[in-house]
Amino acid sequence: MIMNKYVNPDNLYIARSYLTTESNKTGSWRFLRPCYDEKTAPCSIACPAGEDIPRIEMMATQGLFKEAWEKILIENPFPSVCGRVCFHPCEGSCNRRDFDSAVAIHSLERFIADTAIRYGISPELEKKPSRKQRIAIVGAGTAGLAAAWFLSLLGYSCDVFEASSEVGGVLRWGIPLYRLPLSALRHDIKQITELGVAIFTGKKVSKEMLSELKKKYDAVFIGCGHSLGMPLSVPGENLSGVSEGLEFLRQIRDGKSPVCSGVTAIIGGGNTAVDVARSVVRLGGKALLLYRRRRQDMPALALEVEMALEEGVELEELVAPAVISEENGKILLTLQEMKVEGEECGRDRVIAATGKNRQVRVERILKAIGMQASESWQQADRTDNEILTLSHSVLDSRGREAVMVLGGDIVNKTKSVVDAVASGKQAALALDILFQEGIEAVVPKLQACLVGPGSSLSMEIFMGGERRLRNKHVVSYEEINTDYFRFSPRVTQPRLLKEERIQSFEEIDLKISAHMAMKEAERCFNCGLCNQCDNCFIFCPDTSVILGRDHQGRHINYDYCKGCGLCVVECPRNAMSLGEEKS
Amino acid sequence: MPTDVLDRELVHSGHVGCPGCGATIAMRFVLKALGEKTIMVLPACCWSVIAGPYPQSALKIPVLHAAFETGGATATGVRAALDMKGDTETTVLTWAGDGGTFDIGFQSLSGAVERDENFIYVCYDNEAYMNTGVQRSSSTPYGAWTTTTTGKDWKKLRKKNIVEALVAHRIPYAATASIAFPEDLLRKAQKAKNMKGSRFLHIYASCPTGWRIPSEMSIKIARMAVQTNIFPLYEVEEGLRYTINYRPKEYLVREYFRLQGRFKHLTEKDLDQIQQMVNEDWELLLRKAGEHV
Repeated sequence: MIMNKYVNPDNLYIARSYLTTESNKTGSWRFLRPCYDEKTAPCSIACPAGEDIPRIEMMATQGLFKEAWEKILIENPFPSVCGRVCFHPCEGSCNRRDFDSAVAIHSLERFIADTAIRYGISPELEKKPSRKQRIAIVGAGTAGLAAAWFLSLLGYSCDVFEASSEVGGVLRWGIPLYRLPLSALRHDIKQITELGVAIFTGKKVSKEMLSELKKKYDAVFIGCGHSLGMPLSVPGENLSGVSEGLEFLRQIRDGKSPVCSGVTAIIGGGNTAVDVARSVVRLGGKALLLYRRRRQDMPALALEVEMALEEGVELEELVAPAVISEENGKILLTLQEMKVEGEECGRDRVIAATGKNRQVRVERILKAIGMQASESWQQADRTDNEILTLSHSVLDSRGREAVMVLGGDIVNKTKSVVDAVASGKQAALALDILFQEGIEAVVPKLQACLVGPGSSLSMEIFMGGERRLRNKHVVSYEEINTDYFRFSPRVTQPRLLKEERIQSFEEIDLKISAHMAMKEAERCFNCGLCNQCDNCFIFCPDTSVILGRDHQGRHINYDYCKGCGLCVVECPRNAMSLGEEKS
Repeated sequence: MPTDVLDRELVHSGHVGCPGCGATIAMRFVLKALGEKTIMVLPACCWSVIAGPYPQSALKIPVLHAAFETGGATATGVRAALDMKGDTETTVLTWAGDGGTFDIGFQSLSGAVERDENFIYVCYDNEAYMNTGVQRSSSTPYGAWTTTTTGKDWKKLRKKNIVEALVAHRIPYAATASIAFPEDLLRKAQKAKNMKGSRFLHIYASCPTGWRIPSEMSIKIARMAVQTNIFPLYEVEEGLRYTINYRPKEYLVREYFRLQGRFKHLTEKDLDQIQQMVNEDWELLLRKAGEHV
């Protein structure tokens, strides 16, 4: 057989390409330049503790519960508590609200903390090398413990002095068990003590002891909170049947069952008032909640109010106590009716409706109208310019003695758990900067650790974590590519039935399963963060997104990228940006 | 199915496709699914240019450039030659635009599939002769501006339903796919690869240049074409068994038209009429699929 040489592929008589198109550097066509650019989520700036919520939810979606827990702990040592009792401003700014409904961030926080409890895991957190300065902390409430937590992470040794027999402050003594079980609180506190924080209970700090502390320590943080009730300023408020609501809650949390027979009037509209009313119901009494404004104006969480009414608490709106008197062993309370007129500070103003009074007969009155500092040295002096007044703490480094820092409820505008955490964090960071670089550096350095354009501080940014690289731009709903998300209902929090609730102080909100939690976490848009979905790689018409093992997982080959912008538009989470090409 | 399908890359960078070119995205997806044991027949279309001027090639597989009207015939010959060599493994793929499929190459395609030639024919549809300067084709949709249907003379004829024309040949597999739905597209290309006989894929590939849309919108527009029922995703086996792959969100066609320069002259009344035409087509498809209207 004779071979036909033309069959040999090497000698085909047709033109055959032997080069690739890669010699055309089509990147020169580009006038817009895409880049990976992680941004700030609105929830994370709404959180006073600055938690990295989109990252936490991303980790939860992937089942990385321990890592998610550590991600919370770096910004907030109280996930178990805040998952239960925080007023979760994060959910109010969730971009998903414009799509279907906000992600149940608080339920997920609680789930992540509960999972850590369940498996008894310990967090592995970065800790700075030991510093020589020692810090005394007055009051083992949320702010004090948070300060101890962050200062310990920064390498300082802390001693905490607590007046009562157990730590936790309002969390331990002022929040009923049906909202915050003891085990949840103790678990969070355990993480703090395991970091090496020494806590001395039963040590009430007096003015004399404070001057001792000032000599022995390099700084003293005062986070003793408010323990003195505000006066009603009406005749008869000192009668024996009138007492403080918080004191009533304290007795219950101390294991006692204060007498609750008959009708108890509770004055106030905050969470404490509602807690007191619901506790009265649980102890077999009738609760009459008296509030000078309307239900929609109540500072208490709307859901708490709703549940209280379901449980049989009676609410009277637009009434203020006018006179309290005694009548046959009972209390006669004269109420002044109020009416809405005009506006003040963003809400309706109420004034007394003249001539409209009525009387109610009750067994006792519990006040829940707010608290104030019990001693004058616990109050911040805001007149001296040399004292540094920050959003959540006040720093006094004038004298030669220890630096004084005031934090927690005594300085915070919003008196909430998470604001107390923010206060502890701010104080800790400020002290570190003060010790290492001096007082002048405090404000600019704190400024550099803010989450996005908001006012929350991030410990992760302060410690130099990857979060510091994030663009401060806050992702809006319009910037999310919702084509990649499906409608999915928010998780329904399982709860005890009303009948079961009023029987005892059992926790009302039940656990959610890991399956439910992951499904809920998956609802999160992870605004501004890359979750490695690879859309940029998939849709690139120019094969210019190159997968790799670098930090981002991929990079853009600018030799060929024509700047069409598809990757940026098809990024579901707005983790990319398109900018003008600088020639 | 190989697990690294998505990672394999048979299209080189440096090709001269316009920024945001949908046809290039379609090519990347199809070759990812078919793999390197593929020979491509390329009748005249945008890709004749994108594939590179001699001696360059943008593809990592052998490509035969062919005359405009010969997509079906050339593939028939390539298949016959491979069969003579005993190579039944290599896939023969014709990659043609809408002009080369709906109009100029239609007789050759119809002839090849009537003989049930063993090859895959992919029509990437950008709804006009884009390569030569946006002239209208029989794939250009009702209402569109092109350089040959300008001003008041915008196209007032329906788009040819090419999939139904192929289904009428009772070929083993005919399907629509969209660059905005990569999973569906890759699955269909792999399914076609594993079948014998004539297989036809009609891929919606947006064209930022010819449609007068921003380059970054080409996937968004392709997605909306599916979501509005303008381009439903479905497949037909043996010319009989219809499967609708995506339940559209039934957005109004108005949203789709508003985003494109080629439709900007349309009035509300025109859009209402187009909506009716789309609804009619969708109901017809539902009936064919044996689903309730």
